[in-house]
Amino acid sequence: MKSKRQLQKENTKIKIFKTAYNIYSEYGFTATTAMIAKEAGVSHGTIFVHFSSVNELLTCLIESFGDNLALEIHDLAEKNDSIKKLLETHLNILSKHENFYIHLISEKSLIPEDVQMALVNIQSNFAFHFNRIIEREIQRHAVKSIPIHMIFNTWIGLIHYYLLNKDLFSPDEPLLKRYSSELIKTFLELIKD
Amino acid sequence: MKICIACGMPMKELSDFAGEDTSKDYCVHCARPDGSMQSFEERKTNMINFIIKTQGFDEKAATKIAENNMKKLPAWKEYFNIGD
Ligand SMILES: [Zn+2]
Repeated sequence: MKSKRQLQKENTKIKIFKTAYNIYSEYGFTATTAMIAKEAGVSHGTIFVHFSSVNELLTCLIESFGDNLALEIHDLAEKNDSIKKLLETHLNILSKHENFYIHLISEKSLIPEDVQMALVNIQSNFAFHFNRIIEREIQRHAVKSIPIHMIFNTWIGLIHYYLLNKDLFSPDEPLLKRYSSELIKTFLELIKD
Repeated sequence: MKICIACGMPMKELSDFAGEDTSKDYCVHCARPDGSMQSFEERKTNMINFIIKTQGFDEKAATKIAENNMKKLPAWKEYFNIGD
């Protein structure tokens, strides 16, 4: 069994993690660890007891979001589900992390390079399952025979365009909540054979 | 749940395992036609080609991504220790 001290330590780590997620979601990646410490009610040094550096904290946050996505997508792909279900799941998870994700893609160049890799890995993992389902659909002539990377990039391009211009498409409410079904419907119509 | 030591894929179904053999530590995608595990170079080339095929990236960028992924996998860790 874990000692009280250990549990306390773990709780502090979770608190820092959650606070960091909220701060970055709200202010983006220029937010400082001082802001996170203040909001979490811990000393600045405490953050670095749990995370060796800002990079480690950022990587942890992005990877945890990626794991979340990977797990749901993997389960879904195994069930041999439809493209529609895959896209819905994708947007559903992005929608849960909408602000965080918008900062991630719009401020990519501000994030340290090794942390950027975590973001690239999320996209690659999604591409793996996307490929599996699209390839099958092309074979059975349900989807146009277009190179898979172009189908994938068209999807990512479409949703990123909307997300990056949230101020224009949906300034006052969550963007994906408002546009998910239209984006999915349109994309499916475009790739249909 | 087992995770493929050569590519990191979760292996849940029998069909995920190389040769449908659950005692194997690597997945169906990381096996050669004869059932043995692909070499470091084979796996790297396959990963790079896969990234290019699915995302259309430049070869140099795809190589960097593949190496970054392999670095974290039990089967290839040792290949990256030199000069680290
Ligand atoms: Zn594998």
